Amino acid sequence: MTNALATVIIVVSLLAAAYSLWSAWRNRAMGVPHLVALGVLEVLLVTQAVVGFVKLSGHEGPTSSATFVGYLLAILLIPPAGAGWGLLERSRYGPGVIVVACLAVAIMIVRMQQIWQGTHA
Amino acid sequence: MPDRPEATTRSGPGRLLVAVYALFALAAGARAGVQIGTKFSEAPAAYVLSAVAAVVYVLATVALALGGRTSRRVAVAACSVELLGVLVVGTLSLADASAFPDATVWSGFGRGYGYVPLVLPVIGLVWLWRTSRTDGRAEALTGEGAGSA
Repeated sequence: MTNALATVIIVVSLLAAAYSLWSAWRNRAMGVPHLVALGVLEVLLVTQAVVGFVKLSGHEGPTSSATFVGYLLAILLIPPAGAGWGLLERSRYGPGVIVVACLAVAIMIVRMQQIWQGTHA
Repeated sequence: MPDRPEATTRSGPGRLLVAVYALFALAAGARAGVQIGTKFSEAPAAYVLSAVAAVVYVLATVALALGGRTSRRVAVAACSVELLGVLVVGTLSLADASAFPDATVWSGFGRGYGYVPLVLPVIGLVWLWRTSRTDGRAEALTGEGAGSA
């Protein structure tokens, strides 16, 4: 886990959440920009998973590595699941789902940083 | 059942509810998996409880997402068990911390998850109650209802 990549992921997910919230506010359904944002987020998360596994195999990282690996893999499911579930809803609640998904990603990244630094049980 | 009306528990605001439930199913499931897979002997009771919580979240997610009569009953049961669980485990974890040496999603009334586990079943039950009234009206209007499970 690198702080720079984590920060980029948090910023991108919060921007995507803000954009989706704005779409929901304007009563718009999900569209291509939301999908692109989720795609970018997923690419960043896959990069993080690769970097994370490389670092773990080099004996870096937290003592509770099982929990960290759990987060590393579980977080990959969120953007695609959010995209699929949001696309099924042709109303403002589609982007609403993306708000939930993006906030969840941001929160999980913060937790992962805490686990990595050992400040979280 | 091709021409059944859109199940209302999953559409509109229900879409968000299912999304949040799915997140908690993932969180509780992953947590239980790690706890049971790596350190089950440390606190078996707490970890079994984690697994039970995960199953309840998965059931609620699937039932709310499917809609329909049977699913509605399963969802009401899951949300009720969840509310009961978070209240009982929350109280016990504060009253007797030694009984819960490691956290579950329901410890401290879901403190570790921004108290969402405490609020979520209440929202779920209110949503099921509200959609049951509109569902009933839709079924009466379209002559549906009997036999559609």
